[in-house]
This record gives sequence, C-alpha cells and structure tokens, in this order.
Amino acid sequence: MVVKKTQSRILAIQNLVIQFTLRGQILTAIRGISLDLYQGESLAIVGESGSGKSVLMKSIMGLLDKNGTIEQGQILYNNMDLAQFTTEQQWLNIRGREIAIVTQDPMTSLNPLKTIGKQIEECVVLHQGLKGITAYHETLKLLTDVGIDNVKKRYKQYPHEFSGGMRQRIVIAIALACKPKILICDEPTTALDVTIQAQILQLLKTLQQKYGLTTVYITHDLGVVAKVADRVAVMYAGDIIEVGGTHEIFFNGKHPYTWALLSSLPQLGTKGEQLYAIKGTPPNLFKEIKGDAFAPRNPFALKIDYELRPPFFQVSETHYARTWLLDPSAPKVEPPAALQAFFEEGRLYANER
Amino acid sequence: MGLYTEEFDNISDKSRAELFEFFETSDRQAEETAYSNYSYWRSTWQSFLKNRMAVLLLALVFIIVAFTIFQPYLPAQKSPTEIYLDDQTGLQARNIAPNAEFWFGTNSIGQDLWSRIWAGTRTSLMIGCVVALVEAVVGITIGTLWGFSRKLELPITQLYNVVDNIPTTIVLILMSYILRPSISTIIIAMCITGWVEMARFIRNQIVILRDREYNLASKCLGTPDYRIIIKNLLPYLISVIMLRMSLAIPFAIGAEVFLTYIGLGLPISEPSLGNLINEGRVLMMSPDLRYQLIFPSIVLSVITIAFYIIGNAFADAADPKNHV
Amino acid sequence: MPMNDKEVLVEVKNLNITFGKGKNKFVAIDNVSFDIYKGETFGLVGESGSGKTTIGRAIMRINEVTDGQIYYHGKKINGKITKAWDREITQKIQMIFQDPMASLNERAKVDYIIAEGLINTKNFKDVADRQRKVQNALFNVGLLPEFASRFPHEFSGGQRQRIGIARALVMEPEFIIADEPISALDVSIRAQVLNLLTNIQEKNNLTYLFIAHDLSIVRFITDRTAVIYKGQIVELAETETLFSNPIHPYTKALLSAVPEPNPYKESQKVVEIYNPLQHRYDIAPPSFVEIEQGHFVLANEEEVTNYRAAQKVEVNE
Repeated sequence: MVVKKTQSRILAIQNLVIQFTLRGQILTAIRGISLDLYQGESLAIVGESGSGKSVLMKSIMGLLDKNGTIEQGQILYNNMDLAQFTTEQQWLNIRGREIAIVTQDPMTSLNPLKTIGKQIEECVVLHQGLKGITAYHETLKLLTDVGIDNVKKRYKQYPHEFSGGMRQRIVIAIALACKPKILICDEPTTALDVTIQAQILQLLKTLQQKYGLTTVYITHDLGVVAKVADRVAVMYAGDIIEVGGTHEIFFNGKHPYTWALLSSLPQLGTKGEQLYAIKGTPPNLFKEIKGDAFAPRNPFALKIDYELRPPFFQVSETHYARTWLLDPSAPKVEPPAALQAFFEEGRLYANER
Repeated sequence: MGLYTEEFDNISDKSRAELFEFFETSDRQAEETAYSNYSYWRSTWQSFLKNRMAVLLLALVFIIVAFTIFQPYLPAQKSPTEIYLDDQTGLQARNIAPNAEFWFGTNSIGQDLWSRIWAGTRTSLMIGCVVALVEAVVGITIGTLWGFSRKLELPITQLYNVVDNIPTTIVLILMSYILRPSISTIIIAMCITGWVEMARFIRNQIVILRDREYNLASKCLGTPDYRIIIKNLLPYLISVIMLRMSLAIPFAIGAEVFLTYIGLGLPISEPSLGNLINEGRVLMMSPDLRYQLIFPSIVLSVITIAFYIIGNAFADAADPKNHV
Repeated sequence: MPMNDKEVLVEVKNLNITFGKGKNKFVAIDNVSFDIYKGETFGLVGESGSGKTTIGRAIMRINEVTDGQIYYHGKKINGKITKAWDREITQKIQMIFQDPMASLNERAKVDYIIAEGLINTKNFKDVADRQRKVQNALFNVGLLPEFASRFPHEFSGGQRQRIGIARALVMEPEFIIADEPISALDVSIRAQVLNLLTNIQEKNNLTYLFIAHDLSIVRFITDRTAVIYKGQIVELAETETLFSNPIHPYTKALLSAVPEPNPYKESQKVVEIYNPLQHRYDIAPPSFVEIEQGHFVLANEEEVTNYRAAQKVEVNE
C-alpha cells in the first residue's frame, strides 16, 4: 500500500541528535534523524540492538534515561515541540492520552497486586473521564475488543492467572483505554511463542483499523514487518539508512545493510550452503563516525563511504535510501544472488495484482 | 526529509571520481571489537572516589589506625596503665582536667587518659577486626556449603534456625560468665553468634547464582564442585563480603562496649573503649569530670560512623549499575 | 546430509521426566522416544513449556530421568554409570547454551573459560599444549588468538556465543546439543553463527541435536525434525517432508504461524489455531505411528486411518 502524500502528517522528527553521558564519555545514540509519521499508517522501525530504535521511541514519550539529552532537533506533534519539554507535567498530557506504548515484556508491564480489571479501569477513568458503572462497561468492552473471553470473570483476576499472550492483550487494552492517537509497539511479540505472536499481530492490525490508530512497530524481526507494516524505516547505528513502503523495502531495497538483513534470513538460504553473513560488529558510538557507519562491514563500500555521510537519494516518491551507491557517479552494483531471486519473486507477485 | 548536504556540492570532479571506487575491507578490521576498557574494580574505585565524604572518612580511619599503632613510640608519651603521682603532693593525680602534661586529663585513679584512649582504641579495633575476619571465614564456609550442596541444605538450615533463635545477648553473657573476662573471651563470644548473618547472606547469594547458565556449563564440562565455588561463585561475592566485613567491625566494637556496660567486658587493667566509656559514664553528672566520658565517646562515634559510611559508600560503588 | 550412515548414535527410549511429587507433580516429558543417527543434524522444535530444553538437559545428564533410558553408542548414560564411562561421555557430549550473556563466567578470562573442560579431563600434555589448543579453538570459530587474555564483557553477543562454541569444540566431542544457540542473538549475527555451526560440523564430523522454536532456522539447518508439544512428540520426519507435508494439526498450526519475510504472502495469511481438545484421547489413547516411510505421527487409530487416507488422496491428485 503506497502512502499517499495527501495524508496528513501527525508527527515529524527533524534532525534529532540524542547523546548519553556514560562513564565520563559521550555516546551519540541518535545521529541526526528525520522521520515523518502519517495519520492512520502503520510504520515499522527495523534495527538491531544498538541501532537506537528504542532510544528514539523513548525520546518521543519523554522516557529517556537521566543521562540522556536531546542535543539538537525537534519532535513536532500537534503544534508542539516535544524535544523542548522539560517538566513532567508537559509530558503527562502527551503520554497515554496522545501517545501510548505497548512494551516488550508483558510479565513486568502489569502490577501483580491489582486485578487487571482495575488496572484497565484506572486508565479509562483517568483518560476518558468516565466514572463508575460507565467506566466498568467500557473496560469490559475493551477486554472483548482485545479478544479475551468470559470478560466479567476475567475482570476480577490477577495478572499471574494469565498466560503471556493474554497478558500482552491486557497491556494492549490498557494502552487503548487511553484513546491515544499514536500507538507505539516496542517489540510486542518478541517474548511470546510463535503461535501467540501471530495472533497478537493480527489483533493489533484489527484494532488499528477499528480505532483509527497510527501505529509504530519497533522490531528486529522482518517477518513481523512483513505482516503488519505499511512503511518501513531501517535503522543502523543511530541513523535511518532507508525508508519506504514495505514492498519497496523488501523487493527493491537499495542500501547494502538492507540487503544484508534480508540475505541473512534462513528463509532465503539454500540448504547445504553458507548463509550470507555480515562480517564484524556494529560500530562504537562513543567515537565520532566519519562517513557511512556501515562502511567497515559493507562489501560494496566505496571510498567516499569513509569520508562523507551519504544523503538521502530518492528512489521513488515514497522510497529514500542513504547510500552513495545511488549517486550517478557510483559503479553499478547488483544485489547478492540469493536476493535477486527474492526480488524477482516480488516482481511476479506485483504483476499478478 | 533532508536531501543533499553542502559538502557534497563542494567536491571537485576529479576527487569525486576517485571517491567512487571500491574500498578494500579487511576481515581482521571487522573482527576487532571496540575494546571497552571497562574494569569492574577500577570502576568501583572511581565511583567510590566520587563520594568525597567517604574518601575523607577513609583517610581519617587510616590516620586513626596508624596513630594507635605509632602513638606509643612517639616521644613524651605516658604509659596507659601507670598510675601517676602528683609531683607536689605525692598523691595520685586523680581527675585532672586536660592540661599541658596530661593532654586528655587523668581518670579517677590517676592514669593518663590520652594514652589510655589510644590503647583502648587499639584494643577495640583489634577485637573488631579479628571478629569480623573470623565471622567472614566461618560465615562464608558455612554459607557456601549451605547454598551449594543440596544434601547439606536441610541440616544446616536446622542449625541456623536453632542458633538464630538464641538471643545473642544471652550467649554473650553466658560466655563471658563461664570463661573469665579477657580479650579472647570476648572474641570467642562474638564469633559464636556473629557468623550466622554472614552465612545466611552468602547462602542467599549462592542460591541465586548456582543455577545460572555458566554454572550449568561448568557442570557439563565436569568441573568439580569446589572449583565451581572458588572460580565461578566467590568472585561475584567479594564486594558484598567486603561490605559486610566493614559493617561488622563497628558492630563488634559496639558489642564490646555493651558487654562492658553490663559488667561482662574486659577487666579494667585492659584499656578498651568499652572500659573507658563505662568509667566515664559514672562521672557524667559532674561537669568538670565530663571530659572522661566525652573523649572516648567521640573516638567511638567517629570510628562507628566512619565505618558505616565507608561500608555503604563501597556498596553503592560496587553496584555495576552505578558505574556511569 | 544423506542418510547412508544409519548408525544410531543417541537413542532415547520411553523417556519420562516428572518434576515434583504427589499433588504438585508436573509431567515435563511424557513417553518420548527417538533416535539420532551419526552425522546428522536432528531438530527438536517446540514452543516454550513444551519440554524441548528438558530433553536436551536430560541427555546432558543435568536433569534426572524419572523413567526410561538414554543410550549413547548403545550404552546407557542415564542413572548410575561407571566413572570411566562418565568421563568419556563428559568429553564426547557437549552443549551450547542459549544466552551468551549468561553462559560465560564474567570473572574469568576467556582462556580459562575455554580450557575449563580440558583442565577437568586433563586432556593436555603441559601448559603450552593447553594454550595451543585454546588458540586453535579460537581460530576455528573465527576469533583472534589474542582474545584469550580478555574478559567476556569486552565482547559482543555473537562473539560470546562463539566463545561458548569454542569451549565445546576444544573437547573434541562427537555429539553437540545446541539449545537455542541463536535465539538470543541479533538477526545479522545469527547467520554468522549458523554458518560456523555447519562448517565445524563438516570439519569435525559432528552430530547435532538442534533445539529451537524458530522453524525457519530449523528448516535451513536440520536433516530430520521432531515437533514437541506439552512433553510429547507429535510428529517426526525428514525436515523437508515435515514442511511440505505436515500431518499433525499442531504442526500445521505451528507452520502457519511462522512469519515469512514476504509482505504479499504475510498480509494474506490466516493464522490456524491449534485446539488440543479436537483429539479424543480419553476415549482412544494415541501412539506413535509411522504414516509413511520415516514420517511418524502421534495419533490414535481413528486418526491414523484419516491421515493415511488423506495421504493417498494427495498422492493421487
């Protein structure tokens, strides 16, 4: 699904730089990111650990650690610049009410001492302003919406009486109780079994349409991305290196890191042969990075990748990639063989439609 | 969304062509990690140094300890036990307020308080350190066996339950009553009950650690139990052991003071902080003689507060989460 | 890998592992039997709580077996065994653990971590020989020899996992149990470690028991796979057969839930939900039956007839 430019922009991050003071040194976790979020879409932010995706989300919610600061940039939402917020009071109007988050571990997201009904109802009362019996019915409705049966009985139960998947549903219900505009899901299914994972993702998709939410998925799992996302932003070492529609990223990716991510999937591997593996480890963010952060591990690296940071090159109206390979002066490079077959498959599917 | 940067436009054509050639990557370069120069003990020490108060008190403790050792060898020091006679009257130099000759004054039978206080501090510190050390050794041994061996878990738990329920005070009193009051009696009495807390603490830590994957891995490799304890478990516990020991020292000194207070401490011939405070206590009411209580109390307070603060500061510094 | 070598290396027979006593009894493994042939990679797939890790640990002799036997080279390895046999299997059977952050001793140098097994079995001539073996092991897993004098916290997750593999390799084992060796690693590092595992298998003629919950990895690396659900093996077959022709409803549900990195396919996919109550096992208890050659399914008589009929229909189509 191609995102139409006529859709309104609901959140805009511009030139964001976030730094942390760690053991006397400065770590630049986000190195100048610009990203737009459009109303009603489902954006996936893909990256590995250390890419900065969680830090990015925390900065939007005002949940950065004490030793982290926003050095530069703006986070524009609703005519406000969230990057300028200094007091908790300012954030209280945003958190929950406007932007809600579903985190990774349902085991620790819930208060073990309160019934789940009470926990959801708290949010309903606080954010929707309902009271008493109306709040109770609203809570039951939310529980049904997230796919929990026998809601009257379940209302009175405690978190430990639920399985992991059910708890995640309850966490989603709490997030929805706030009636947010933006729902951020930070690795919502990583801690769950594969069968439950599929159900939760299906649930999130349904709820997004029903409530008209804008959802942001933070994940490292390309399978999750394929299932739920309309647009994808690929992050590496604190920078967004490619952004575009899901089909564009999967079947027409341009950055070597995107290729590497796709190629290293076992689904694309041939049995008995080696999988495509990226050599080395992600860079040290304490040091200032000159040029493209992925260059030392990039088999297609150009000399300029070590000198200048690549700007965004346009591939289509919705697809941009930060790689010097797209520069007109760059040599023509073909993606790895295994990927070419995959891209071909994608083209066939596209033609069928 | 930002597009072209300024520097890009400034590149000349020739260098542009050059720049767009492939760069030779080396495997070795890719493998070399960002060498994180993080050393646990160095970070602990640095965190500790940030706490000015604790560092100051640590220095103070060192000075006090050094002083108690060197004080007798300084010139013009008096003996702590000798009863001094007044030059003029020939009588005992009793209850003389602090002056040029007796820096802290004399006590009720004419002994120099200055040297008595330092001798007493020396005795009390020695008792405190020995007790802390013995408690640690016994506590760690029993705690480790308790936490690690499934067979010994039940009998040691029973032993712990019994010993823990006996009031420490009663044991101390009993021991002091049976064996004649002396330094070794006090040490033995305090050690008999003191190991219990350390053992329990160590046992809890070991129980947490023993099922961790790296210990499972060691077992799979056939590592014998004693080596698992020494190489896998104890190194994690060093910081907590040091913390407990640093808190055990003032506690032991305090226990000695308490025993003296109830009359079961060291004999008066052995100066100790307990004795000195006890002697001073009876004179509390008369303002000119109050100094006999104030000086030993100050020394005791300083030592106790110093050790507590140092111990807690060390505990905070040793926590990896505070290594920022 | 071709199935020419049909020598059975590991045989698990009627394994039953129960935790707790009396009312608090929890049956973790219920009458599980399977064989592992020399030189193959045998996959054990299941979700959390299925018991797959328990089986791995039972073969490693960390968990006690309540009932049943485990044989290695035809000799029993669970229960009481002789010291000599114990020493031999400690060397021959090795394990790779899941979490690279937890499976290495943070306070020990890499040198000691890798050499620990050697020290236990005294499998070296002198200190120089031992150091040489450690360096060799590091080299074989793609790490630099100077890493031996460093501590684990200086390394990334992927490198730590490779240290764990070096630790197992240095013992010169025959059989390695890999308990979810790549689940805790980043996506791009997984490929590195997977490649390493396949490489060393060829070089050292190893047999693997590969425990995982990620079916796409299993499909790539294993020769035969068993699917385990709540302590019972519900299906066992050659991997390709399992993926192309799943018979048991749980296997089908599991396969349908695996996310594919293809947006076209994924957005259309409907998740199958497995309902364990669909079997009527209280009326007719199931057994492990061979439906077609090498393809076993847990089923009772009625289901066996249905499955066989369905197979014939597919063949005829």
